Amino acid sequence: MAFAGDSPARPKLAAVNAAPAGLRERLLARDETALAELIDMTSPWLLGVTESILHDRSEAEEVVFDVFDIAWQKIGTVEPERGGLMPWLLRVARNRAIDRLRRRNRRLRTIDGARAVGVLGDEVVAPVELNEAGTPGWHVHTQVHAALVALPDEQRAAVRLAYFHGLTHSEIASELSIPMGTVKTRLRLAFDRLRPALASLKDWVQ
Amino acid sequence: MTSHDWFIEHRAAWVARALDAEEEGSYRDHLARCAECRDAVAELERDLGWLSMGVEPVAPRPGFRREALDRVVGARRRRHDWILPAALAASLLISLSLNWRQRGRIAALDAGNAATGTSVAALRDTLSVERDAAQVLHADFATSGVPCSITIIADDHTHRWSVVVHGLPPARPGEKYQFWFITDDGMRRGVTIDAVPGRVASFLTGMPPGNARVMGAALSVEPAENQGSEMKGSALAKIMM
Repeated sequence: MAFAGDSPARPKLAAVNAAPAGLRERLLARDETALAELIDMTSPWLLGVTESILHDRSEAEEVVFDVFDIAWQKIGTVEPERGGLMPWLLRVARNRAIDRLRRRNRRLRTIDGARAVGVLGDEVVAPVELNEAGTPGWHVHTQVHAALVALPDEQRAAVRLAYFHGLTHSEIASELSIPMGTVKTRLRLAFDRLRPALASLKDWVQ
Repeated sequence: MTSHDWFIEHRAAWVARALDAEEEGSYRDHLARCAECRDAVAELERDLGWLSMGVEPVAPRPGFRREALDRVVGARRRRHDWILPAALAASLLISLSLNWRQRGRIAALDAGNAATGTSVAALRDTLSVERDAAQVLHADFATSGVPCSITIIADDHTHRWSVVVHGLPPARPGEKYQFWFITDDGMRRGVTIDAVPGRVASFLTGMPPGNARVMGAALSVEPAENQGSEMKGSALAKIMM
């Protein structure tokens, strides 16, 4: 799984400038067209999250299907004041992908897969391409990138392995050949830096 | 017993899912008991909620949305959708009608029953794909004295049609059956239908290219050499939406 700018061949995504108003309310009202809109707007990001963890497109899709099913069933439990619908979807997708990853116990394969596509280590995040500005949520993507780029390299590497690839402390320590205490410290420092940068972002799926 | 400081120190690790399995289980148990950590973790989750959008988006494959919708609402729709039973009932009535006309001809009746079973199976297969069908269009017609019918199941979401043709005898030498779209900009050629004795002809089709609005469909017998965009043979059936 690559990060923005890493791959020269970026997939073409549907250009939707803004989410329709009241999407959550329409989902609550069991409006299936709202569900279709939600799928269109969020699938690229949810697939990005799950595929970065699972390194398997088919499994990633299965997780995302589950996420939409959960969203459809439990939309009433999503509290806007706790970050909104999209962070909730991202959290569910990520947690379920990690659950699946750990169930199948293919850690070595995952690490190998990540290494094969060059996402481990301290590679530099490339700038965002302007022609993606019409992609729903892309503005959030760019701000997350800016926050990640601002981290020291060693902290960014730890965040990537933990957050984007679902590795545990001990696995990160093994991967980076550093003590586990150092991993914990880097992650904690990184999250302390990221929190203020990310906390102000607003939900674009509404 | 792990100290409370340890849980405070590892809040970020919990949110990141970076704890090992045993630690994660211990943390989960602690959260069930500790409101302070629960609130702090919820706040941290909210603040870091967007971090996952640091990944590059992945364009869904064609058909992903349809499959996702089907997974989520398909089962419920299958239970409530009137189209499946209605279309199956229509198919059975059509077949029974055909059989009634041929009553007394045992061999023909057997063939009709076989055709009915085939048509029901074909419809069931088709409808399992086309659960979102918004319209079911139907017309009876006859060719060479053989009663036939055409049923179109139109899906407004995918703009695909499932077309089922009953009773169509094999085309005569030098002729072919041609399916047409009737649009607000004239006729558009569809697929050529290969009629096999005793079998229901069915196919899925997308809409013709271009921006013309599809208003209906037609079935004709065409000279085999006609590859053009104009109907030169005899129209057998016409269905308007």
